[in-house]
Amino acid sequence: RAAKMGTNIGGVEVLRVVLPGDEVLQLNADKADISIGPGLRWQENVICATRSGLLKKTSKNLYYVDTHQKRYIPNAKEFVIGIVIKKTGNNYIIDIGASDKATISELVFENSSKKARKELKPGDLIFGQILVANKNIEPELVCIDVFNNLVGIGSLPDGGIMFTLPLHIARLIVNPKNSLLLMIAQKIKFMLLVGFNGRVWVKAQKQKEMVTIMNCLMMLEVMTLEEAKENIYRLHTSNSKNF
Amino acid sequence: MHICYSSSKMAKHACQLNFLSRSDGSALYSIGNTVALASVNGPGEVKKSNRHYNRSHLEVCYSPSTGQSMIGERTLESVILHTVEQVILVHLHPRTATNVTIQEMQSDGLALSTSVNATCLALLDAGVQMKSPFAAVTCCLTPSGTIIIEPTEAELKESEALATFVFDGQALNVLSAHQEGCLDSENFYACLRKCQTAAKDVLNFYRRIMEEKYSSDKSYN
Repeated sequence: RAAKMGTNIGGVEVLRVVLPGDEVLQLNADKADISIGPGLRWQENVICATRSGLLKKTSKNLYYVDTHQKRYIPNAKEFVIGIVIKKTGNNYIIDIGASDKATISELVFENSSKKARKELKPGDLIFGQILVANKNIEPELVCIDVFNNLVGIGSLPDGGIMFTLPLHIARLIVNPKNSLLLMIAQKIKFMLLVGFNGRVWVKAQKQKEMVTIMNCLMMLEVMTLEEAKENIYRLHTSNSKNF
Repeated sequence: MHICYSSSKMAKHACQLNFLSRSDGSALYSIGNTVALASVNGPGEVKKSNRHYNRSHLEVCYSPSTGQSMIGERTLESVILHTVEQVILVHLHPRTATNVTIQEMQSDGLALSTSVNATCLALLDAGVQMKSPFAAVTCCLTPSGTIIIEPTEAELKESEALATFVFDGQALNVLSAHQEGCLDSENFYACLRKCQTAAKDVLNFYRRIMEEKYSSDKSYN
C-alpha cells in the first residue's frame, strides 16, 4: 500500500515531503496540545523541519520527520546491538555505531551480583537497552529492565552473523509480523534480533541459511517490499544449489 | 537518475543520491559537463585535537580529477566549509565530527557550484540537521556586457569576470560569494540578481529529487 500524501495508515498520517527550513506549523496559543518529535525545531512561534524526509503526524498530534538515514544517534529507551571493545574498571566499553562509545556496568546483567560478575570478551555481542543518552553525555546501556528481569536481552550466543542496515529498514523489520519475515520463516527456521542502531543479528542452523536471510534483508535497501518478496525464493534456491 | 532542465537559459542539472553504499549520505551531481561526487559522514567520531565541547567539527576535503590537491583546491575547500558552517546545526552534536569529501569527476569550468550543490544534496541524503538547503549559481560577464548563467569552459575563457554566489533556501540570502576578475558594482549587483533568480530553479530541483527519494516509501504490514 503506497503511502500517498494525506493517507492515514495505522494511525500515522503522512503529510508531505519536507526540506530543512520548511515551515510546518505556525504555533498559536490555542494549539498548545501538539508535540514535536525528531527532525523538527521550534523557533519564534514557527515549527521548522531540520532534515529532509516525510512529515508524519500520529493520532496523538505528534509531528515528526521520518528520514532515510544510516547514521545512528542514540536515544534513551531504544534497544541496540553493541560490540564489546574493552573493559575498564567495573564497566565495559561498547561500540553501538554512534559517535560516542557506550558504557555498561558488569552488574546490570541477569543473575549478576558483586560476587558473580558478568564476564565478556572483546568482540562479544550484546543486545541492550539505552538507559540515558543525550548530546552532552556518553550513552549508557543496561541489560535488565526496571524490574530486574532479563526480558530477552543480554549477551548474544555464538554462531550467528551480524550485519548493518539503514535505520529505516531496521525499523520495518522490527515488527515480527512483517510479511517478508513470515515468508522467509516458511522456508528457514531462524532467530532474528534487530537493533535500533541498524544492526541486525541472525542465527539459523546452517551457514548458508544465515547468508540467505542476510541477503534477503539487504535487498530491502534497494527494492520495495513487494519486489523483495518476489525475489526471495530465487535467492533461497540459488543459495541451496551453491553449497 | 533525476534530470531536470531548469530553464532554457541554464545548463542541464542531474543528480543521483545514495551513490556510495558505505557513506552516510552521498550525491553525484552534474551541471552541464561538470560532474562532482560528494560524500558525507557524520556526526561521528572525532580526534581529540578536533573536539569542541559545544559543537560538531566540520571538515571538507576536495580532490581534483587529475593531479595533486594544491592551493586552488584548498581555496575551494575553504569556501565550501564556510558555506556549510552557516547552515548545519552544529550545536546539536557536540564532540563529534562531520566530514564532507568531494571528488571532482569531470570539470567544465563549474567546479565550485557543482561541488557546493553536490554537498547540499549529500547532506540532505545523510539526514544531517540543517537550517535550510543551499544552492550555488555561477555566472560570467562577457566583454560585450552579457551575463551568462552557468557558462561552459569555453565561455569562461572569453569572459572578463566570473562570480559564484551561494544562496540559502529560505530568503535567498547570500551565504557566500566568490568572484574572480574585474566587476564594477553595477555589474556585480546585476550578476547577483540573475543568480538569485536562477537559484530558485536549483532549489526546486532539490525538492523534486527529495520527493522522488521518498515516493517509494510504503507502509509495510
